[in-house]
Amino acid sequence: MNSFIGRHPIWSLIIVILIAILLFLIFAVWPPELEQLLGRKRIFLSALLNGITLGGLYFVVASGFTLIFGLMRNVNLAHGSLYLFGGYFGYEIANWTGSWVFALVATFVIVALLGMVLQFTIFRWMEGQDLRQTLVTIALSLILADLMLWRWGGDFYQVPMPTWLGGPVEIPLVTAMRSSGEYVYLQFPLVRLVILLGAVVIGVLMWLALNRTKVGMLVRAGVDDRDMLSATGVRVQLLFLLVFAFGAGLAGFTGVVGGTFQSLQQGEDIKILLASLVVVIVGGMGSITGAAVGAVLIGLADQFGTVYMPTYAVVLTFVIMVVVLALRPQGLLRGH
Amino acid sequence: MAVSVAERLSAVGTANALELRGVTRLFGALAALTDITLTVRPGERRAVLGSNGAGKTTLFNCITGDFPSTSGTIRFFGEDVTHFPPHERIRRGLRRTYQISALFTGLPVIDNVYLACRGVSRGRYSLLRPRRNDALMHAAENLVQAVHLTGVKEQLVAELSHGQQRQLEIALALAGAPRFILFDEPAAGLSPTERIELIEILTSLPPHIGYIVIEHDMDVALRVVESVTMMHNGRIFKEGRPEEIESDPEVQELYLGGGHG
Amino acid sequence: MALVEATRGSPASAKSEDWSLTGIFQAHPVLWLLAVFLLVLPAFASNFVLIEIFGWAMILGMIALSLMFLAGYGGMVSLVQMTVAGCAGYMVAIFGTTVMTDISLGWPWWVGVPLAIVIAVIFGTLSGVLSVRTEGIYTIMITLAIASAFYYFTLQNYTIFNGFSGFNAVRTPIAFGVDWRSAVPFYYLILFWAVLAYLVVVYVSRSPFGLALQGIRDNARRMAALGFNVTAHRIAAYAFAALIAAVAGVLLVWHGGQISPGTAGVGPVIDILIIAVAGGLSRPIGAFIGAIIYVMLRTFALDALVAVGLDGKRFQLLIGLGFLLIVLFSPDGILGLWARWRARMQRPNTHGGRA
Repeated sequence: MNSFIGRHPIWSLIIVILIAILLFLIFAVWPPELEQLLGRKRIFLSALLNGITLGGLYFVVASGFTLIFGLMRNVNLAHGSLYLFGGYFGYEIANWTGSWVFALVATFVIVALLGMVLQFTIFRWMEGQDLRQTLVTIALSLILADLMLWRWGGDFYQVPMPTWLGGPVEIPLVTAMRSSGEYVYLQFPLVRLVILLGAVVIGVLMWLALNRTKVGMLVRAGVDDRDMLSATGVRVQLLFLLVFAFGAGLAGFTGVVGGTFQSLQQGEDIKILLASLVVVIVGGMGSITGAAVGAVLIGLADQFGTVYMPTYAVVLTFVIMVVVLALRPQGLLRGH
Repeated sequence: MAVSVAERLSAVGTANALELRGVTRLFGALAALTDITLTVRPGERRAVLGSNGAGKTTLFNCITGDFPSTSGTIRFFGEDVTHFPPHERIRRGLRRTYQISALFTGLPVIDNVYLACRGVSRGRYSLLRPRRNDALMHAAENLVQAVHLTGVKEQLVAELSHGQQRQLEIALALAGAPRFILFDEPAAGLSPTERIELIEILTSLPPHIGYIVIEHDMDVALRVVESVTMMHNGRIFKEGRPEEIESDPEVQELYLGGGHG
Repeated sequence: MALVEATRGSPASAKSEDWSLTGIFQAHPVLWLLAVFLLVLPAFASNFVLIEIFGWAMILGMIALSLMFLAGYGGMVSLVQMTVAGCAGYMVAIFGTTVMTDISLGWPWWVGVPLAIVIAVIFGTLSGVLSVRTEGIYTIMITLAIASAFYYFTLQNYTIFNGFSGFNAVRTPIAFGVDWRSAVPFYYLILFWAVLAYLVVVYVSRSPFGLALQGIRDNARRMAALGFNVTAHRIAAYAFAALIAAVAGVLLVWHGGQISPGTAGVGPVIDILIIAVAGGLSRPIGAFIGAIIYVMLRTFALDALVAVGLDGKRFQLLIGLGFLLIVLFSPDGILGLWARWRARMQRPNTHGGRA
């Protein structure tokens, strides 16, 4: 970080100022003039927390996508379909067994297995043919999308939420001050808080796995230099199998989560895929940290856009993508 | 024609063909090149030798601009090209061959050479096909003939033998009006006869064209150059004439003693 | 690029093509037949066949051709070509006369159409600028994202693009005493532009510009080491491809008489990719082969599916399965199958005996 500050003193100053402003906005009580300008603080805080939570969701999906691409150079355009399929599957399991947690675990396992089958039967034979692999994923996404449409139709589905996750929780962030001098605190749905914390935990676990385990180091080495990986004599195909399974499982798992606090519907696969694309373009391909940064950025853009610029909320995320592509095409966090 | 222009250009001024000062190239924490300072005169023929990993190809990559150097300056015929992209350096008369032939495998031989000729002249974006009497087309055909590939000029590169591909690789570097060429292991994988042909091609280049040869094969290298630079671990550790280098005890211990390729 | 690599060894490309255009016709006499067939088609075909089958196929073929130019010759799989066509179509609607009188400007076609093409080409070129500075594998992602951005923007913007409904009653002009939307004239209009686009692409493929593009596809680093500004060339290629897609876009909006966000949505964008790949990325004719197959499927699949006992709505499943089979077994598309079949026919001992 010191080298970053040394090389980009102006940007560092700007970032510090922005962080200071942000901290003020979050923790201080807003004077009436500020509320006139920006609206209620409660809305701002909700958008902020919802944005970070959504970012957490995007992060988990996009990290699977970026791992698969980073290691196997396979742009998996069926990733959104895996998400949606996981969501639908989790919905069925949750309704059948009544256990949300079991649905989560079962979905991860099943979608991971599906990913393993795909890698083993199809992608393994296309080693090095990046474009061909991507075209296969496109075909698979078309097939999966239509099969899912056939089975579940165009209705909205919501994965039933366990009761112990329901209801709001009070967060120690001040939204306003009553005339009596008492502070009003923010109410935030517990389920979203849990999801946010879950995403953070998953992120930390992934970071640990990548940086502290032997398998993780192999994956990182492979992302940087694939030829070197085969030179180490490790069973490359087995590694690919594991990583694809893990990435797919993550997508399916997130589908259940997304289906819980949002909903599932035909077309959601494309939306999630596009969100993943934008996240990794902005954050940098093959980088988990990049996926985290990109996801939070896009999640915040999405929520703030919906609240403050409803007509163009979606376009805002693409504008961010275009700006990043124009100024720093390799992504915010990726070295050249 | 093209040759006399280059001759005139290099006759004007006393600038060195190539001047590197303090060039360093870092890959993360790894220093592939450290503080390289090198001067080559116009028309000089030099060999850069060293064991694998000494940094020879990285040196070439920095000179051509394939990788930017982390620090230091590079001057080409007196002009500071340190921040120029590769195509700008090439257009000023620098050329290069690759250790592993970098050819356009989906195109036939004649198109490969035509592109080389086109790259250093105007009309790169022309949407019009060349006519029968196109000058560049003639130049390309002459070049194909010079490297003895006329018989296969319509064949796709993918169908050529290894030796033929290496010949084509050289032809690409001779296109236009080169002033200075970098040959990266031109003898790699060649049969003894082909090696003799290679030596002939190199030694019969016009005197104003200087070059640097990276080679593992000392026999080929020392026969086509007048000076040698030895590299080790990303640094230059000795320079001199071929006879001096060959008989130098340090070089023998470091390089020849361990056996070379 | 695997799909173009797969074609390099095939006999059809073993000898470099003749430097003149008539050379292709000599090498492939079937093209003569095709040309004659297309020219006399109005004499015996119904309006439906003319416009909804062949006309529609040629328009889609043009858009797929622009993708083929970038992918087959340049190694850049761009998913933004359909969007460029959609952009041109929207501009035609906005500058011309439609039912949406509060937005459409009502300008004459000879002002609106060239302007629409210019704007679409600028859009395509800018998309190229965003896409070419990263590795090839990202192109498909970035262009897909740009295509989606355009879709969402047109969906949500009402002041210029009229949002969800788009534009209806887009009229094809009546010029020089001819109603160009009546069946026979419109067919010949489309035929003219499609053939012109095809011939131009074939011609340019062996011009310095086209050759340079192929060189960049094969080894971009070497092209830079030969003196070419690789980034500039790629952007220029996007501009050239955008021109073809833009013209197709004008014909597209005239064909349907309407344009809406869904016209260039993710579905049609992917369809163009499927058409180009299924036909074959190695030669320009592949784009049109893929297009006619797609249009045939689209038109007759409903009946075919019902005949087999499946729900007629499972068209996407059919397309997906078909595409999967092609990518798995003949990634160089129909052209690849054709080349391999020809090679087998030309080999002397192919009587099915044991090798």
